[in-house]
Amino acid sequence: MKTKPFLLAATAIGLVGAAAQAQELTVWDWKSGDPVTADYYDSAKAAFEAANPGATVKFVVQPHDQYYTLLGTALSSGKGPDVILLHGGAQAQTRADALLPLTAMADGFSGAEGFTANGEVIALPLTIQGFAVYYNRALYEAAGLDPNKAPSNFAELSTACEAIAAKGEVPCFALGNSQGFGGEFFISQIATSTFDDADYTAWAAGELAWTDPKVRAIADQWAAAAEAGWFYEGANSIAKFMDEYEMFMRGDAAHTVGLLSDVAHWKQFEEFHGEGGVGVFAYPNSDAELARLPFAGGIGWAASNQSAHPELALSLVEILADAERQAIFAVDTGALPANLAVDTSGLSSPALAEALALMAAAPGGMPHSILAPSVLEEWKRQSQLLLNGETDVDAAIEAMEVARNAN
Amino acid sequence: MTVKTHKTKPPRKRRGGFGSKQEQRFAYLMLLPALALVLIFRVIPLIWGFFLSLTNVDTLGNGDWVGFANYARAANDPTFQDSLINTVILLATLPIWVMLPMLLAILIHQGVPGGKFYRAVYFFPAVLSSVIIGAIFSVVLRYDGSLNNMLGAVGIDAIDWLGSSSNALGSLIAVQLWSTFGMGVLIFMSGLATVPDDIIEAARIDGAGFWQRLFLVIVPSLRPIIEFVAVVTTIGVLTSMFGLIYVLTGGGPGTSTTLPEFLIWLEQGKLNRPGYAAAISMILFVMMGGIAWMQVRIMSRNTNL
Repeated sequence: MKTKPFLLAATAIGLVGAAAQAQELTVWDWKSGDPVTADYYDSAKAAFEAANPGATVKFVVQPHDQYYTLLGTALSSGKGPDVILLHGGAQAQTRADALLPLTAMADGFSGAEGFTANGEVIALPLTIQGFAVYYNRALYEAAGLDPNKAPSNFAELSTACEAIAAKGEVPCFALGNSQGFGGEFFISQIATSTFDDADYTAWAAGELAWTDPKVRAIADQWAAAAEAGWFYEGANSIAKFMDEYEMFMRGDAAHTVGLLSDVAHWKQFEEFHGEGGVGVFAYPNSDAELARLPFAGGIGWAASNQSAHPELALSLVEILADAERQAIFAVDTGALPANLAVDTSGLSSPALAEALALMAAAPGGMPHSILAPSVLEEWKRQSQLLLNGETDVDAAIEAMEVARNAN
Repeated sequence: MTVKTHKTKPPRKRRGGFGSKQEQRFAYLMLLPALALVLIFRVIPLIWGFFLSLTNVDTLGNGDWVGFANYARAANDPTFQDSLINTVILLATLPIWVMLPMLLAILIHQGVPGGKFYRAVYFFPAVLSSVIIGAIFSVVLRYDGSLNNMLGAVGIDAIDWLGSSSNALGSLIAVQLWSTFGMGVLIFMSGLATVPDDIIEAARIDGAGFWQRLFLVIVPSLRPIIEFVAVVTTIGVLTSMFGLIYVLTGGGPGTSTTLPEFLIWLEQGKLNRPGYAAAISMILFVMMGGIAWMQVRIMSRNTNL
């Protein structure tokens, strides 16, 4: 007879336990393991749990290089996380079917177009991502160049590279292309200065042929730069992350194409070369007068439509992307916040000031991020072959067209 | 004349003896866990993979039935074709994969000084994961790596071991060979232990020199081992080079180090095309099935030796 109360109690405990477990949200990202971001995540967790009594949040850090493989497997089995950190562009847009619409929450964010699919915003941007050319002022001076005058067009960049080559100590550009990232970045470096809105639409739809002069310029200028000896020899055996950047930080190359994103290269590079030791400019397209700086929404928070608690998931996304949290993230990591309400005055530095001025004066998009993944993969291959001189531009364009039409 | 016949009694069935229904049931019961594991983790995924290869689903499960379109796509996919050519090149190096460990095993067996030390050293890389080996050799083989620095010190120009299409696959094969040949050495040493010493001694007394003893006595005795190592190595290189490719070259430059197993990961993990990845997997499975069939034939033939 004593077993009955015991069973009732056990059942009650079980139900309470199940209810408590059911209130736990799981978040996947590749950032929460970084000690620098600890205050951001602690603050978001505290704010969420205060706003939603009884609910808890568990951040699960995943390996960055396997992130989308793991996420795809989890989502296809219906066991995906409640809240997901995503890259803007194709990585977010191809997963739109698994995400809740966030359009009603998306006012006041820069870069939201990179997280928009089928007319709905599907993630709230946490950072802005862009590519900038960083240069080493000391090496400019050593090559007889004005260290305070960044190249503003292709002719000036050519002059700078010739002077650096004549000095004969370092290559003009550090480059790591073992995984094709050098080639991938180059798409946005070149196309952003010539693409108009119609081009972006056609490009995203896979309707802009690689034979189009604006697109062909990517392969032409990549091959020309390689032939002119601008890039580090052996770049196909060097990883962009982090060997290329370590090369630049050691002073073994005059330029590198780095990030303005949740990876704050301006901050890292200034730590090595000193404040003011690094300059910033947008990579010039030889077919365009104005060199635009490519940037868009970098990474952002999305809520899964598989979540058992969609309201809680939306609440957590809102907190993770609000101005208070983004300010913490920006100050601690050096990332540029996407929430326009964040005060960025705490991020001042000479290199960042130059980058922000370029963003305001010559903003461009990020064409590489909206290219179909299989076409992008083929360009990575072709970029390696062009770099080695193992193919020519015509053959590369032909291969790109085969990939575009097969997609 | 009458013939006495002995009416032989049928053998009395022992209680619980071999063949009784009870014992058979028990045997099936014991086999059940293993069969269930094979069924759940091998057969069902294989069937599921085949049906997946007939669809164009993405990783979210959205897609349609496309019949054999993925197989037709593979037939016309230049990247897949390149991966098959790379596979053929890889298989063409098979004699090296077999001969090198065999020669080293024979030398150790013949009692070269420090043989036990070399046996341990040769086997050591076999206990390292391919990712660790890849990380080590990426430092050694990159353009500004230690190997080129060493060559530079003796006046030889740097070679792009990993970044050039003409060198990358060879470098990858060399690293994989380095990391796995120790296992072949051990297998050959086991085989050499079965070669009777008196035959070798008799050959020696008959005046056979070292090379004659090697090629006329030892190698023919090792034939079953050579065939076994050849088949096992072939299967190994076709299915276990992913880690090295991933860390060292990423399949490039171009497609020069892309093998079918790497392409499967690329299509599934990066390009969000599980249906096409499943089709390539099925083709690789058929290739491996052919090699496994060869292996079974070789092994069964050698049971009569």
